[in-house]
Amino acid sequence: MSNIEVRLSPRLMRGFPLGQCMAEAVLSFRSVQHRHALPAPTLFKPWAKRAGPGIVGLSLDLYEGCVLGLIGPNGAGKTTLLRMMAGVLPVQKGKVESRFDTDVWQPVDDLRQWVGHMPEQVRWQGRTTVHEALSQLGEMRGTSETKIERLLALVGLRSRRDDALDNLSQGMRQRLSIAAALLGSPKVLLLDEPFNGLDPVAAEAFAALVRTLASKGVSVVISSHMVAQLEGLIDRIGLLHRGQLLDEGPLEDVERRLGLEGRYTITGEGAADISSFAPDEDVLERHQDDDGWSLTVKRDPKSVLSAAVDADVNITSWAPVRPNLVEWLCAATGMSVDDISLEVASSAMLPMRTVEVGEDE
Amino acid sequence: MSDRKRIVNVAARIRKERLSGIRLKIMLPILLLFLPGMAWGFSDPNIVLPGGHQPDTAMEVLFYASLGVVFGATMCAVLMAFDGVSKDRASGMLEVRLAQPMPRQHQATALILGHAQSILLPVYALLFASVLVVRFRMGEWPGVTEVVVYALSTGLVVFWYTLFALLASTSAREQGTAIAFGIGVWFFFTFLWALVTTMVAYASGVAVGEANDPAWVALEGMLDLLSPNGVYHHLLETQLPSVDRGVAAWQSWLAALLWTVLPWWALHRRMERLVP
Repeated sequence: MSNIEVRLSPRLMRGFPLGQCMAEAVLSFRSVQHRHALPAPTLFKPWAKRAGPGIVGLSLDLYEGCVLGLIGPNGAGKTTLLRMMAGVLPVQKGKVESRFDTDVWQPVDDLRQWVGHMPEQVRWQGRTTVHEALSQLGEMRGTSETKIERLLALVGLRSRRDDALDNLSQGMRQRLSIAAALLGSPKVLLLDEPFNGLDPVAAEAFAALVRTLASKGVSVVISSHMVAQLEGLIDRIGLLHRGQLLDEGPLEDVERRLGLEGRYTITGEGAADISSFAPDEDVLERHQDDDGWSLTVKRDPKSVLSAAVDADVNITSWAPVRPNLVEWLCAATGMSVDDISLEVASSAMLPMRTVEVGEDE
Repeated sequence: MSDRKRIVNVAARIRKERLSGIRLKIMLPILLLFLPGMAWGFSDPNIVLPGGHQPDTAMEVLFYASLGVVFGATMCAVLMAFDGVSKDRASGMLEVRLAQPMPRQHQATALILGHAQSILLPVYALLFASVLVVRFRMGEWPGVTEVVVYALSTGLVVFWYTLFALLASTSAREQGTAIAFGIGVWFFFTFLWALVTTMVAYASGVAVGEANDPAWVALEGMLDLLSPNGVYHHLLETQLPSVDRGVAAWQSWLAALLWTVLPWWALHRRMERLVP
């Protein structure tokens, strides 16, 4: 039995299969900032405002053909960052450069010509038809009628082109939103919580569409607070918290930096002496009942699996365990879950462990 | 596609959407009653107005019928445009529009033109009907200059209220506030302005309401330059030689220019800074 060799493919070891990321940076944000203006009335200045939370000192590169997953809790600044990237909110400080058309970096005055933006939850409504709604936006971009028809086909709305917006389901409205984002053949596609309201079938179709676009060289940024939804879709991950980018990079690199790599769940049937093949120091979590057992280990699974086979236990599955949002944030900030959850409610800004930015306004 | 063509096309889409909406169908009877309806009433050969006055020229009838514009058309302009921005903001469409590579200034221009056209088209159609009614009832055509000034000044006052409503719409976070602001402005200039005039006259020591007192007439005339409705009537009065309230024609046209340029500028500035 001991001569059985367990081989795990690199793809299975990573858990998040890579797309065809060309890894050529095309858009660069350097120390960018946008802080929301909050009312701060005084006796003599009733309309006075002060700088509130937002995005502070954030640097980020977007790569051609890469899908970046931007994760963070509610209020982390994901939507604000996407709106900055879309040119909807101004970049108050910092530098934005691109090299979409040339090999040299050039300052970008207006991001909107390069970027397609799909905001979170657009409520398409009214008696306007799907085609008319898209044409109206196409008019603002100078998009041809042929292109609009192609987009409707791409997102699966060709058969509904003459339906009123009021008659669309939530999933169809999401499809229309992505068609609107794709109107100008963007180099960068920003998707803000795109899976909201999608059923699993629609979500899978949506993910396939994102992968297709990435394979054509479109740089995609997806924001979400549901990490599991991004599994299998993203090439890079960015952790956003309180307006600051805590870490960003290829998934395995970030995992390694934060000590979250190499965790596996092994399950089996029947009774088993777990300590005989998995030393206690490697076991992060264990569970055993009449139906079987499961354990989460933090070490190379090959040796555990080999030991388990040697111990003649009945293994039913093993799989890598992906960190969830809370684990990512705890690892990145060095804070506890309680501290993080309390922080989300606060609008104060404190320096994070990996980014040192102070209040400057 | 040139910028100008793009603005015209976007405005045309807004106009089409508004013209085909239920809202206009609801407002049409109001406009019918207030525009050709008033022209019909004031062109009655037997009409006697307060003070025993009888309108005896076509332009004079159109001047009195302009009350319908002040009460009806301007209110319809506000009702047409109050949600021009706030509705899109509430639905999330504003963010989609602002993300398009059309400069915000151009978007603002298209927004104004689209909404203004959607109310001006029915108003102009009914103004034309009013002129026909006056001709039918009095057997007299108004002069070409009179009609041009009447149409131009009516277009301007409707345009101003469209700008006010859109301006309110950009500031309001929800539609109730937008309509309250728009109707509030309309109510203030249409119904409460007389109260403002009276208060200023009282504070200035001018006898209030003395129609034959030159001081009262001059004060009222000057204060009317601060109201869009007042400027509208000043513009119409440039075609009524019998009326002299101490305001020269150039002052009226200058005030009209300011009432056009300032809200236009304010709305464009708001759009530049608009946050979804």
